[in-house]
Amino acid sequence: MTTEVLPEAAIRNERLRLRLKSIRSFWRRFAARPDGVIGVVVLIFFSILAIAPGFFVGPLQTVITATGLPLDPPSTAHWLGTDELGRDILNLTVHGTRISMFIGLLATVITILLGAMIGIVSGYVGGRTDTFLMRVTDFFLVLPTFVLALILAPIILDIVGAGSEVFGIRVTLIVIVIVIGITSWASTARIIRSQTLSVKERAFVGRARVIGSGGGHIMWRHILPNTMNLIVANTVLVFGGAILTETTLSFIGLGDPFAPSWGEILNAAESAGAMGLGAWWYVVPPSVCIVLVVLAFTLVGSALDDVLNPRLRVRR
Amino acid sequence: MGSRYLLRKSFGAIFTIFLIVILNFVLFRMMPGSPDRILLRNPNLTTEARTAALERWGLDKPLIPDQLVAYLQATAAGDLGYSFKFHGESVTDVLAGRIWPTLILFGLGEILAVIFGLALGAYSGWKRGGAVDYIGNGLSLVLYSMPYFVIGILLLGIFAIGLHWFPTSGMLTIGGSNTSTWDQFLDFAWHLFLPLLTVTIGLIGQYSILMRSSVIETLGEDYVTTARGKGLTSGKILRAHALPNALLPAVTLIAINLGYVIGGAITVEVVFNWPGLGTLTVQALEARDYPVLQGIFLLLSVSVVVANFGADLIYGRLDPRVRT
Amino acid sequence: MTDPMTDPVLDAQAIIRGRRAWPLPKQADPNAPLLVVEHLTTRFKMAGGSIKAVDDVSFTLNDGEALGIAGESGCGKTTTALSLVRLLPANGRIGKDSSVKLFGIDLAKKSEDALRRYRWREISIIFQGAMNALNPVRRINEQIAEPIELRLKADKADALKRAGELLELVGIPARRGQAYPHELSGGMRQRAMIAMALACDPAVVIGDEPTTALDVMVQAQILELLERLRRELGLSLILITHDLSVIAETCDRVMVMYAGKVAEEGAVSVIFTTPRHPYTQKLIGAFPNIHADRRTLDVIPGSPPDLREPPPGCRFHPRCPFAMAVCSVEVPPEVTFADGVRVACHLYPPGSDGLPITEPTKDALVQPADSAGPGLGAGVFGDEEFALELRGETVEPESAEHTFSPSHGLTDDRSLDDFK
Repeated sequence: MTTEVLPEAAIRNERLRLRLKSIRSFWRRFAARPDGVIGVVVLIFFSILAIAPGFFVGPLQTVITATGLPLDPPSTAHWLGTDELGRDILNLTVHGTRISMFIGLLATVITILLGAMIGIVSGYVGGRTDTFLMRVTDFFLVLPTFVLALILAPIILDIVGAGSEVFGIRVTLIVIVIVIGITSWASTARIIRSQTLSVKERAFVGRARVIGSGGGHIMWRHILPNTMNLIVANTVLVFGGAILTETTLSFIGLGDPFAPSWGEILNAAESAGAMGLGAWWYVVPPSVCIVLVVLAFTLVGSALDDVLNPRLRVRR
Repeated sequence: MGSRYLLRKSFGAIFTIFLIVILNFVLFRMMPGSPDRILLRNPNLTTEARTAALERWGLDKPLIPDQLVAYLQATAAGDLGYSFKFHGESVTDVLAGRIWPTLILFGLGEILAVIFGLALGAYSGWKRGGAVDYIGNGLSLVLYSMPYFVIGILLLGIFAIGLHWFPTSGMLTIGGSNTSTWDQFLDFAWHLFLPLLTVTIGLIGQYSILMRSSVIETLGEDYVTTARGKGLTSGKILRAHALPNALLPAVTLIAINLGYVIGGAITVEVVFNWPGLGTLTVQALEARDYPVLQGIFLLLSVSVVVANFGADLIYGRLDPRVRT
Repeated sequence: MTDPMTDPVLDAQAIIRGRRAWPLPKQADPNAPLLVVEHLTTRFKMAGGSIKAVDDVSFTLNDGEALGIAGESGCGKTTTALSLVRLLPANGRIGKDSSVKLFGIDLAKKSEDALRRYRWREISIIFQGAMNALNPVRRINEQIAEPIELRLKADKADALKRAGELLELVGIPARRGQAYPHELSGGMRQRAMIAMALACDPAVVIGDEPTTALDVMVQAQILELLERLRRELGLSLILITHDLSVIAETCDRVMVMYAGKVAEEGAVSVIFTTPRHPYTQKLIGAFPNIHADRRTLDVIPGSPPDLREPPPGCRFHPRCPFAMAVCSVEVPPEVTFADGVRVACHLYPPGSDGLPITEPTKDALVQPADSAGPGLGAGVFGDEEFALELRGETVEPESAEHTFSPSHGLTDDRSLDDFK
């Protein structure tokens, strides 16, 4: 008597095949949306700049290594002109890409981690934990978080001491990251919690509980993968928002003049009275970059949301 | 309106305000290296103010409950401490002096943005696919991605500096206080124009986008089909059935938005040097004037809570389903 | 040739039309039948092409009659009804050759503005799912009064008073009219919808699955109400439902639709006892009969076709146990027999005797020896769902993807949140 046993490898292959098929179908649907594609192209462009700014424009110019005259209009030597210290604006803007994107990335990671965790736990565990967590979330939603960020930042800075570095990153930037994270997680948490509530009702969760899987296991292996679509779409939008927030915080003066993000460049421009002196080249490049990147994130986020979370799909 | 709803929302608002006050306390007193402690090392304080501060805040007494209670009492009485930067002036006075320019700028801006944004969005949603729809939508999207101050800088650059149509900063022309009230008013309006335009443009995008999709969604609802079946004209259907329902998410958004608007608000004031709470915040930040910062935080937070409460009331008026 | 003086249809016509609260429309022909629909075709323009949700459907409704339209979800019954007053989404169009003659006036040829005059005043609709069909932020009595005020030019107070009377008529105390839709139970909402449909004293009332969302007890009450109103007011009713028991109880005639076309049409008593079309036979056979001996549920294998690529010839042929070679080639013509039944099936070609066929003929592609017997159901998900649906129980699908219903996505569903 022979028994037919499906080899492990066959199962794995089948799973892989299905996954590849769904990825391919995803790309097809995503590529059909011109706004999403444009957004991705823009983001790739800026990501390349962010990864290796030095490759394109050389090292970040400082007061000492400034190459031009102060507030020089654009010329062949300096395509985007110079700032009040004589630094090349193109150089500053490209380096600013890395700093702005980096801060945005870290802040987004914190926001999403916090938000998704609280959202899933709150939604899955339910009961009093849920009520408590949601009260906290609602509180953070009502709070004018920007003002909170504004106040937390100097406090933390004063405690830790500005000008120092942690893991090679300047503390000022870390503070901004933390502050954005603390103040932005609430809306993500709400969204993920809603999704968790509906995923919780599905059959496979009930089955998992019946066979005795623990809460943590269920949340990790079942709830999380099924909320992943929403999390991804939300991440993209949060990233865009984080960059906006960081820009605004830096513009107000919480940025780091030694690691200038786009917002910080604008802050410097404002302090130098660039507009009054007619030095539009100081203001326009960082502004354009901010708008392009945030717009790209919004477009991609919207396209992703439509592709991953369809409202009504007709079969065939 | 159901009294239970009213009660629930009032209680919620009061409770939140209470939490905010406590949060304020925590931030500024309890954290190590807290500013109130650093206060004592502040050279700007006169000896009398220092002794008075020590006494009033009871910094030598235990934190909880003594300091907390004292703080709560003081806040309830309207005493928010004294400013560092403004040479011992009371925080309340400092805030009072700056509050109404901000109120005018943002109150007016929000009202204009709501009216035009909702109207534009409703029109776009109604006449889907028209030129207005595409252009309006695209424009809204771009504006939504621009920080308010960038819009401000742009407008400033073009209209004030480039074309000299408007002043470049401030709220009133310096030295112009001897002209008539009407002239003063005109001067004020002249200065107000660009910052107001900035705020309105910044806000309009979100309201328009939201209203558009809300109207589109409402028009797909079954009761609109019923209304069409009844033989009502398009205009009547829009006014009596679609809009009252489409407005609901808009009201919610306006309320949620208020918290975020403040961020942009501050920066716009900076760009135009508008003497309101925004510029005050930046100045206080630079000087690490914690009492003032604390006061601003309290004021803004409470305002947002109150505004949210107002929005809840309006929503309750519009949607009978939540009243039970 | 019937003698108009003694024709029972014309008699009923005279009585019922005599009872109308106001005169017939100016263009009306007093001797014309109430409603004559001919070659009604409705297309939906979609991304890939267009779908004919209703394909060449014809029927007649006389004064005081109740016509039931039966069929599976997506067979076009609702679209047929909505097409009568062109209550279609933006991408829906009625065919050029279609005609919808109310009192002899062709509504299909009217412009949108002219057509509006007939909506609700002559033809009104009781929609399915009253919770969604009523405006959630306005009071019930206002919604009922709205057409009275606006279409009949009454003043507000009179309209509200009339609304109160209508509510009493359907069994809701008038003071409950102050309530909002969410404050009423499902049954009361449905009654309110009926009251609203009667507001302008229309000639024809269309009930689109008026009892589907309700539990059985309430269903019975609503049906009883409809019957009573029919008798007292002489209503002419078109009842759309997938629940044959409702049709058996309330209707005089029934039209069975499949995939947008008419399969069979005739008097209820005849069709329920001697169904001709194989689909009708299956429909009735799938119906659990409490008096019959227990047997397995007679199910129809497969599922309704995708209307974007309908099967050639007769649309039912892929699922038909009696299918013949000609069925996949030619569309069967409609043939009317002596007992007044109209069938579209190759088993009953023009000139045949019209005796109902219940076994595969010698031309059938699948002979009895091949299959395991009629409908010892394959138990595929689609079958069970279908059979349960016939009984009036709906099955909640796991996700929107599993339910094929052409009405999903037939509206112009460009992403609602294009820019969020």
